[in-house]
Order: sequence, then structure tokens, then C-alpha cells
Amino acid sequence: MSTARFSPFELLLLKSRSQVDTATLLLLGWVLVHRQHVSEGQRRRRLAQVTSQFRHGHELGPVMSIAHSQDLHAIQLAAEVVRKECSKERSLSVMHQAITVATDDGDISLANHYILRFLADLLNVAPATLGTLFQELTGQPLRPPEDPSRDAYWQTHDPAYYAQKAQEEADAAQREKASQEQAEQQQRAKADKQQEKKQKQQEKKQQKEDARRAKARAEQSSAEQARAEQARQERARQEQARQEESRRRQQRSSPPPPDRTTRALAVLGLTPGASKTDVRRAYRRMAQLHHPDRFYSDSEHQVALASARFQRIKNAYDYLMQTY
Amino acid sequence: MRDLYQRLALTPDANNQQIKSALARCPNSALRQDATSVLAVAPHRETYDTLHHTLSDIGRLRARLGLTHGAHWQGDVANDFSLPPDNAISRHDELVDRVSHAVSLYNRWRRLRGPWLLIAVFTVGAGIGLALGFALSLGLGLG
Repeated sequence: MSTARFSPFELLLLKSRSQVDTATLLLLGWVLVHRQHVSEGQRRRRLAQVTSQFRHGHELGPVMSIAHSQDLHAIQLAAEVVRKECSKERSLSVMHQAITVATDDGDISLANHYILRFLADLLNVAPATLGTLFQELTGQPLRPPEDPSRDAYWQTHDPAYYAQKAQEEADAAQREKASQEQAEQQQRAKADKQQEKKQKQQEKKQQKEDARRAKARAEQSSAEQARAEQARQERARQEQARQEESRRRQQRSSPPPPDRTTRALAVLGLTPGASKTDVRRAYRRMAQLHHPDRFYSDSEHQVALASARFQRIKNAYDYLMQTY
Repeated sequence: MRDLYQRLALTPDANNQQIKSALARCPNSALRQDATSVLAVAPHRETYDTLHHTLSDIGRLRARLGLTHGAHWQGDVANDFSLPPDNAISRHDELVDRVSHAVSLYNRWRRLRGPWLLIAVFTVGAGIGLALGFALSLGLGLG
């Protein structure tokens, strides 16, 4: 009966006082690992801050190291535990914590876009609810993630590369032009020499030569024109793409505002269509959970946060009671 | 986010040579342009690969948890990163099984410990007695 047959996370889960809390901890750690520009210490502190009410009763260190190794089995196990044991309110609060952890400074990394959506699917949170929750917490709408598999993404995120590429192309074109001119000069010099040498043969041949040169020049100028035309088209296309992008962004940034009742319901963790008794029951539960007196023994800061939350819940409840 | 490797029939660990030849073979010019600016530029490819790895993980997780048709899993990502669902193993059930197995082994050990200890003590005692008797008889024989 050696302990080696259980993986580190399984051992942690078996020793934990509350399996859901440990599993949630791992999932939040997974989200945190995908935050960019955050140091390890900050991550750990943040996790401890968010999960101060958890009753797991073990260290955070091992959880973070498992999250860092991105052990798929551990994450799957955590997801299964969370799905099995989370009630509706609990899953909303987990979602709430995940969003907080993913977006402290407002922006959310691409990987976390997908992880949050995975968690939402796992916890059975509808897209509309996730959107309103996100809006409530960050003050920004939840946009669809950007797509780094497209050229357009890199044109906005790495303009330096494109500038360099354009510069290189211009240089190459210039060099080509210079070499062409040189070749032409050589040709002309040679032709002149030939002309001098064979001065006597000539009327006809000279005419022919002239014709040929004229034609070559015409061809070259037309080629130059074509190149200029192409460059212009390229520029026009890029311009158009950029305009389209900005238009799309504008459209995205002004979705229909969620109506106040829906928002109030989301604050209470309900979906549209809940009855008055549901609202009352949800309010009682949320008020019990978030009442500032519960946090009396914790820090001043916690009490202040709780009273802000409580105020919001109460406002939502008052509003719903008036309208229902 | 699309899986460019899949669309170019490559593996994610393809080297630059393979990528170049796949790009040359690619018939879709839009895809070729995107893939050129993503995969052929080292820093871009690095960023892309990180996200690609995470998304493959999520795709695998979704397949195992039966979430391949979730409301949040749609569009290009769902098309490219979904795997056929396999309900073969639920890690939680497996863990519960293993724990109960371990517990039953432990219980059996607890139950059988008494008789086994008795037998062991008896065997050791008998062995010591035999050895002593043998030594004594040898000593007598010699003396």
C-alpha cells in the first residue's frame, strides 16, 4: 500500500478537508498560471487572497506547482470534482473568482479567454450570464478572443515586423532598379562602341537598333508602372483591412446594453425568468453569505469589500421587488 | 483561432523546412498568407504554439468531460480543436475505485493481523526450540 500509486494531486485531494475547495483551488491556479506579466509570488498571494474563505486546510504551494506543470489528469480530476459537487450558487461564485483572478488589471490573456469559457461550460453557466458577470466585475464587455492564427492579428500586435518587412521590400526594389539601370548603361555603352566600330554599315541597322531600344524602354516603363500599380493596390488593401478591423471593433464595443432587470438577477445569481419567491430566496442566501458581520473577525478591508457586495445585492433586490 | 498545423497537414513540432514546403504546396492563398505571417516568423510562432498547446489541452479535457458541444465552444476553435468524445475513464471514479481498493486491502490486513501474528510467534518459538534442542543434543553427543 505505497502512496506512490496516487499522484500528488490525488493525495492532496484525499487529505483535504474539502475536496471541492481543493479542486477549485487547482482550477484557479490554472487560470493564474496563464496570466501574463505576473511574478510567481504575486500569483500565490493573489490566490491566497481570493480563496481566503476556503476550508481546504493545506498549503497553496503544492497546488501552484501542480498547476504549473499543467498536469492534464489533475485538471481533469479537479474539473470532475467541481462539476459533481458544485451547487448553482457555488458554481457562480467559482466563476466569479475565476474572472477576478484572470483580470486584475483589466485585460485577459488569450489562453484565459478559452479557459474561462471552458469553466463556464463545465459549471453550466450560460453565455449571457457569463457576459453580465464579466461586465459587472471588470466594467468591460466580454469580447470574443482575438485570433493569432490570422495575419490581421499580427498586423495590429506586431507592426514593427511589418514595418521592417516593408522596408526590406522597398530596399530590394531599389536595389533591383539600380542594377537594372546599370545594366542599361552598360548596354548603351556597348551599343555605342558597336556603333562606332561599324559606322559604315548602317542606316538600316541603326534604325533597327533605335527601334529595339525604344521598345525596351517602353517595356521597362510599363513594368515600372505595373509595379507602382501593384504597390498602390497593396497599400489600398491594407488600408481597407485596417478600416474594416476598426469598424468591427467599434461594432463589438457597443453591444445592446443588458437590461437592468437581467443585471439585477445576475447579481443575485439568477437567470431571467426567475419568480418572485426565487428572488427572495436567492436574496436571503446571498445576504447571509455576504453580510459584513460575517467578516467582523477578518480585516477591515474584508469588511469593506463585503459591505460593498452586500449593498449591491440589496440594491438589486430592492429594484427587483419594485418591478416584480 | 484555427489549428494551422492541422490545416496544413503538419504536426505541431514540424521544423522550418517542413513548414516551408507545406506552405509552397498550400492551394489556399488566404491560408498561405496567414500561415506565412504566423508560422514562418519565430516569435509569432512561439506565441501561437503556446496558445495552441493550451487549446489542445482544453480540447482533450472537453472530449473527456463530454463538453464538446458546449455553448462556449463554437466556431473555428471548436472545429479545429475538438476531439471525438471518449468516456472511457472518469478520473474521479477511478480515484474512488483505487481508494476503496486500498481501504479494503488495509481492512483485510487489520482483520488478519491477529491470527498471522500468532502463527508467526509460534513459528519463531518452534524454530528457536528446535535449534536449542539440536545444539543441546550435539553438545551431549560430543561430550
